[in-house]
Amino acid sequence: MSHVNATTFTIVVVLFVIVTGVGFIAARWRRAENMMHLDEWGLGGRGFGTFITWFLLGGDLYTAYTFIAVPALVFGSGSIGFYAVAYTIVVFPIVLIFLPRLWSVSRVHGYVTPADFIRGRYGSRGLALASAFTGILALMPYIALQLVGIDAVIQVMGVGTSSSNTFVKDLPLIIAFLVLAIFTYVSGLRAPALIAFIKDTLIYVFVLVAVFYIPTRLGGWSSIFHVTQTHFATISPATKKPLGSFVPPSGSIGSTRLDFASLALGSAVALFLYPHAITGTLAAKRRNVIKRNMIYLPLYSVLLALIALFGYMAIADPVTAANVKKTGNAQLAVPYLFQHMFPSWFTGIAFAGIIIGALVPAAIMSIAAANLFTRNIFVEFFKQDASPALQTRMSQWASLVVKLGALLFAVELPHTFSINLQLLGGIWILQLAPMLIGGLFTRWFHRWALLTGWAAGMIFGTIAAYKVANPTTSHWAGSSDIEFGHSIYIGLSAVILNLVIVLILTPVLKAVRAPEGADETLPHQYTADPDEAPVRTPATV
Amino acid sequence: MTHATPRSRSAIAAHPIISTVIAVLVVADIFFALYVPIYARVTPKLGDFPFFYWYLLIYMPLTSLVLWIAMQLQKRLGTPAGEGEGVQ
Repeated sequence: MSHVNATTFTIVVVLFVIVTGVGFIAARWRRAENMMHLDEWGLGGRGFGTFITWFLLGGDLYTAYTFIAVPALVFGSGSIGFYAVAYTIVVFPIVLIFLPRLWSVSRVHGYVTPADFIRGRYGSRGLALASAFTGILALMPYIALQLVGIDAVIQVMGVGTSSSNTFVKDLPLIIAFLVLAIFTYVSGLRAPALIAFIKDTLIYVFVLVAVFYIPTRLGGWSSIFHVTQTHFATISPATKKPLGSFVPPSGSIGSTRLDFASLALGSAVALFLYPHAITGTLAAKRRNVIKRNMIYLPLYSVLLALIALFGYMAIADPVTAANVKKTGNAQLAVPYLFQHMFPSWFTGIAFAGIIIGALVPAAIMSIAAANLFTRNIFVEFFKQDASPALQTRMSQWASLVVKLGALLFAVELPHTFSINLQLLGGIWILQLAPMLIGGLFTRWFHRWALLTGWAAGMIFGTIAAYKVANPTTSHWAGSSDIEFGHSIYIGLSAVILNLVIVLILTPVLKAVRAPEGADETLPHQYTADPDEAPVRTPATV
Repeated sequence: MTHATPRSRSAIAAHPIISTVIAVLVVADIFFALYVPIYARVTPKLGDFPFFYWYLLIYMPLTSLVLWIAMQLQKRLGTPAGEGEGVQ
């Protein structure tokens, strides 16, 4: 581990410098007359077509989660990790149902964040605040996951790990982090949009090469599957249970079929509730851009399934499996696999692809969280008359603060399976489903019922996730627990609780004539397709 | 997720068959990916790939195709925006 391969290292550094340059140049790309406006910094001018949106959303959705966290879970537990594949399948039909409506109504009213919509729809500042808070909170572990991913690659490269000094040890991560923070500050959403092209090109190249080349080194797919199946059937001496499962087992407790399905469904509904995914959506030029992307984006999912299989290749390759075992960190499975299988120059390309693939979504996520803070907390509660320039300045600073929060999550939470960072964010963000998805179709829900349901879901979900333990970690060890005798994703059980409360309280509140709040949206605006973005700044409307 | 497809009532009323087909396509696409007992099995294999794995792999291009068909059908519902009764 202490040995640094010069070729790999040089290629990673060169590609990183190129990307940094592009990140700064991006400020001039599609330049508007007045850049000090949130539509510019935060939404790239709201003028992205199908092609750029595809890259941008792809850059949003396929992240360190894809390259590090999913293969790590597949490596450690087997078939349950493929829930991520089922998730990226069902996300597109599910999203097609509600996202075009959100795009339309946001376009008509000039909403920049999901909380803007909540505020306009329910006339409730409290509900908007709750949704903004949830969005920012849920994004932090997700950004933290990106940092863990970058860290995994840096560790395998052998850079920095030789020192016992914490600062020197984490120096490469801190440098990557600073560069990210600065180019996001300067260029806003234009930077990740432009870098996404480079990132995706790198990723497509190394994934396709890896998928065709590595199996030839490991005796073909039949050998990979055979070794894996035997491996997961082995009884662990510590737990007296099999190490994992080759296909999801029946039964009610453990990584069962229900657990698999609930993780897939929960993650799919959660994805486009995340502020960063909505940011990518709202940056689109036309309504059809969104719809067309739901057809093209599954192409990325094919990639995800292939990347998940890297986890099995890591099991089938004895050297990689031994390396990972030595460090006890499943996150290193893919980096070690590439390092062992590829010549060092190609490993450099692959590593750079993973690092950049984590930086792009981290940038988009921090921009989205910053927009939420500025519009729905700062302007709404502290400075109603903030000028567009001040709002932009505020967002730029908030993006830095959010990244520091993410760093805390990355340091504090256990990394056994970093995928839990994303699933933890999912538990929180799912609590917005009734108000956001529900609100796109009906105004029947009462705003106070939604607020109560949200609070119940948040509290239940957080406590349940905190209590999950495994033999090595006492808290935050997983994202599924047992409800009514069945293992299920906590996010899903929490949002069901949330919804039940909303359904019970709404008629009660209506019966006592609790004030409903004004709705500034009109039914036809949910299907509108306006050509021009609105010019006014609606946070103060 | 618990709601009907987002077309206005009049468009659904005007094209009941096309609307139903779209709804069935989208719901089936979601169902067959989430109902795990269908594909949580090793056989039949396709080449070297156990059933569980090739089912999921083939499902993705299939989803693209299904959603493309659904979108083409939506255009037939008669409005340029693809759905709903349009703005004006």
